[in-house]
Amino acid sequence: MNEIVTLISAALLVIGSLFALVASVGLVRLPDLYTRMHAASKAGTMGACLMLIALAIHAADFGTMSRALAGVVFFLLTAPVSSHLLAKASYAVGYRLHSSSVMDDMAPKDQAK
Amino acid sequence: MSLLLVNVLLALVWTAVSGSFSFLNFAFGFVLAIFALSLIREQVGSVGYFSRARRVLSLFLLFIYELVLSAWRVATTVLSPRMDIKPGIIAYPLKVDRDFEITILANLITLTPGTLSIDVSDDRRILYVHAMDASDPEATKRDIAEGFERKIMEAFR
Amino acid sequence: MSADIILDYAVTLALATLCLAFFVTIYRIIKGPTLPDRILGLDMLVAIAIGFIAVIGIKTGFTLYVDVAIALGLVGFLATVAFARFVLSRGKTEDDLLSEAREAAAAARREAKAASRAENRERQHSTRSGQ
Repeated sequence: MNEIVTLISAALLVIGSLFALVASVGLVRLPDLYTRMHAASKAGTMGACLMLIALAIHAADFGTMSRALAGVVFFLLTAPVSSHLLAKASYAVGYRLHSSSVMDDMAPKDQAK
Repeated sequence: MSLLLVNVLLALVWTAVSGSFSFLNFAFGFVLAIFALSLIREQVGSVGYFSRARRVLSLFLLFIYELVLSAWRVATTVLSPRMDIKPGIIAYPLKVDRDFEITILANLITLTPGTLSIDVSDDRRILYVHAMDASDPEATKRDIAEGFERKIMEAFR
Repeated sequence: MSADIILDYAVTLALATLCLAFFVTIYRIIKGPTLPDRILGLDMLVAIAIGFIAVIGIKTGFTLYVDVAIALGLVGFLATVAFARFVLSRGKTEDDLLSEAREAAAAARREAKAASRAENRERQHSTRSGQ
């Protein structure tokens, strides 16, 4: 039983760190701010949450486990809010989409301003 | 909501009676309390509590599934040697109208495959969504409407 | 016993991967053409740092690290929110316009080069088929 828990947390650690790596590679490779935001807000959140869950199931006592899970919930709640705010602010200021974008439903409103 | 409180209280009573306050014992007590409440659901009127709990749970499971899927989708997109993506911003007409529901929908959209919520129009009717693959906007809108929005309306109405 | 050894290897592997992710993100922060790109990079760094803390927490067995991770998440969230407000109030600077123009020029050049290459290929093809 104990060994299985250890193995699961080891697997979660490796998978989580790989997701973090993928997120940062995406941050470098993707063409514009908004697509980069996809990588950071999904793969990055996923990576950090998986590693916190690994910590939660590795520590067997109630206090640590509940705090780690609270951290996961907290991170899941705040990550979309912060990326949403950043996207909204930078769109309102006028950072444009990359030239490979195919459509922009928000644009007419901006031109009318 | 008060039934949830009763549920937690019953679980705490179970941990107190059985004398060990560990996480597993608390979870077991919670399951026992759910069982006890489901036995007397006709008497205390907790039928709605159970169906709502089931719907919230199914929303939660859908969310976890979509989060894993979206992280995987981002990973394959990023690691493919030739990235041909067609990003774009889609205007999504909202059916939910309460602030709370719009917040949950926007958060869920951000954490699901290929979409990122950017802005809500001032009259709260349109959600602007940035999609990684905007070659077929109608399909994306249909996915959101039939997936999360329907589940949210089921769970919180 | 063998499970513990596997966990040791996993911890080392995770630390190495996280280090790599950290440096790749720092490359984006240094290079990132605009301010929001850099803010996004900092947000990502917070996520990676939380990962580091979780790995170290498993490695050393100190449970106090969980509190550090939660506090770091809070601070990172507030910092990103504050930065977003700052971007909104500051607007675009000349620097941004300059780098955007440079990028657009580079894209146009790339496009023109691709078009001329395609044209060349077309011409060669037509002459060959003409012969």
